[in-house]
Amino acid sequence: MTRSATPKLAGYAGLSGVGLLTALVFVRPEVVALTAPFLLALAAGLALATPPKLAAGVGVERERAIEGDEVGGHVVVSSSTPVDRLDLYLRLPDGVELVDGTNPVALRLAAGESRRLDFTLRAAHWGAYVIGPLYLRARDPLGFLVWEQTAATRSDVRVYPREEVLQRIVQPRETQVSSGNEVSRRKGEGIEFADVRPWAAGDPLNRINWRASARGGELWVNESHPERNTDVIFFVDSFAEARRGREGTLDLTVRATSALADAYVGRRDRVGLISFGGILRWLAPGAGTVQLYRMVDALLDTEVILSHYWREIDVIPRRTLPPNALVIALSPLLDPRSVGALLDLHARGHDLAVFDVSPVPFTARPQGKLDAIAYDIWILRHDALRHRLQRAGIAVAEWNDDAPLQAAVEEVRAFRRYARHARV
Amino acid sequence: MLALGAIGAIVAYAGATGGRLAPLADGAGTLGLALLTVAIVLRLPAVVPWAIIVTAGGYLAGREGRALVDGWAAVVGVLLLLAAELALWSIDHDDRIRAERSLTVRRVVTLTALTAAALLVNFGLLGAAAVAAPAGFVLATAGIAAAVTAVAVVLRLARA
Repeated sequence: MTRSATPKLAGYAGLSGVGLLTALVFVRPEVVALTAPFLLALAAGLALATPPKLAAGVGVERERAIEGDEVGGHVVVSSSTPVDRLDLYLRLPDGVELVDGTNPVALRLAAGESRRLDFTLRAAHWGAYVIGPLYLRARDPLGFLVWEQTAATRSDVRVYPREEVLQRIVQPRETQVSSGNEVSRRKGEGIEFADVRPWAAGDPLNRINWRASARGGELWVNESHPERNTDVIFFVDSFAEARRGREGTLDLTVRATSALADAYVGRRDRVGLISFGGILRWLAPGAGTVQLYRMVDALLDTEVILSHYWREIDVIPRRTLPPNALVIALSPLLDPRSVGALLDLHARGHDLAVFDVSPVPFTARPQGKLDAIAYDIWILRHDALRHRLQRAGIAVAEWNDDAPLQAAVEEVRAFRRYARHARV
Repeated sequence: MLALGAIGAIVAYAGATGGRLAPLADGAGTLGLALLTVAIVLRLPAVVPWAIIVTAGGYLAGREGRALVDGWAAVVGVLLLLAAELALWSIDHDDRIRAERSLTVRRVVTLTALTAAALLVNFGLLGAAAVAAPAGFVLATAGIAAAVTAVAVVLRLARA
């Protein structure tokens, strides 16, 4: 706790000193009469000033919330000494708004009194937030001294992005060996009919196709496609973003990644994350709800960090990009390093789909003639970049906040269904 | 507004008493009023003491040449304190901080008690000065300082 004097203390002390000196010099009792009230106030104020002994804490009802949720919280403050005026200010981060309650607030505490102040916050934007710190400022009854303290306790709130529900997702070309919901292209034990073949020793009787056997004069058995799981790796481009106000391409990227990951985890697929940017982060593939939480937590910490280091995909740990995994890249295609990495991934044979999180809605066409031309050229170059990826055989869909994510997913699905493989 | 009213009352009183330096008293009083206005409007607490000094100087200029001790000096001193307190309260006030009603009530009570105590001390001071004048003014001042210290000690003990 730090103690400091207010300007009032210096002012009154100065007035008292000057007044008494003037009284002595001019020998006028009136001067003492003018000075005495200030001297009295000063003496009374300092006599009544007691250093406060405060204890304070901040708490929130829950540590996890979805965008738009309201979260209750409270501040508890107590003092073993009387505090005539106590100012409390709880610092709230951007993205969290106060809905109910007062902040800052001034109150009075008697000796031994404890007060609880309730408030309601609204999680306006996804992210990992720290509620606090709580600043306390106590004053003596006459306002000569101020004690300031910062409460050490803080509360964390993780706000998850509001997810879009997807009806269909991008299907990978290859499946893994574990059971899942994706019908494999390979033949094996499963439900979906694949083909018929001549009977071989060891084939169970219930797989014999009696109709085909009667026509062919020998035993034929049905073959089927097994249901397998898949590995999906989300490649989040965090090299650069376009931002206007509180919304930017990174926000859309996080929302889309979260929605897609939720859909894949629901199908018992394994999901992983590579945040490719100024700082490389990754999460090895895993399945289940815990993995989904891990992924979203990792996404909340994603931020654009400026870096001039030329990063290539060699820096990505090998186990985070398992063979036959579907790589879903979400990128505003603003940085040549990320575009190069995508082409490199495709050239190395990874199954790749790209969601171009369009930066165009976050920009405005300039008024000046030359600036407007430059802007148009930039848009054309961005389109050309997308077409370059498509020409390489990569499924690319442009997506912005105005359109549902499902539309972009369908565009990628259609491209992958009809496109031919191309060599790059 | 109350702070400006208190200063205005002092300026009016100083002007009404006349004296050889009445124009100087009026000028100083007006300057004090202007300084206090500036301090409140621009939220400059450091200017408040200067406004008080200038206003007090104007009052004393109005008393120049009068041998008789002014009994109203006690009230003038309390008005100066009241003006300073109200001006600093106004400067301190921040609309963003929602204060409980009891805080305002308590501050008003504290201010009233302070001005009442100051008035009592001042009347005692002027009375003592009239009695102790032959014995020496320095002694009277020391006596008042001792009285104020005694009040402070009593308050401190009461607080503990």
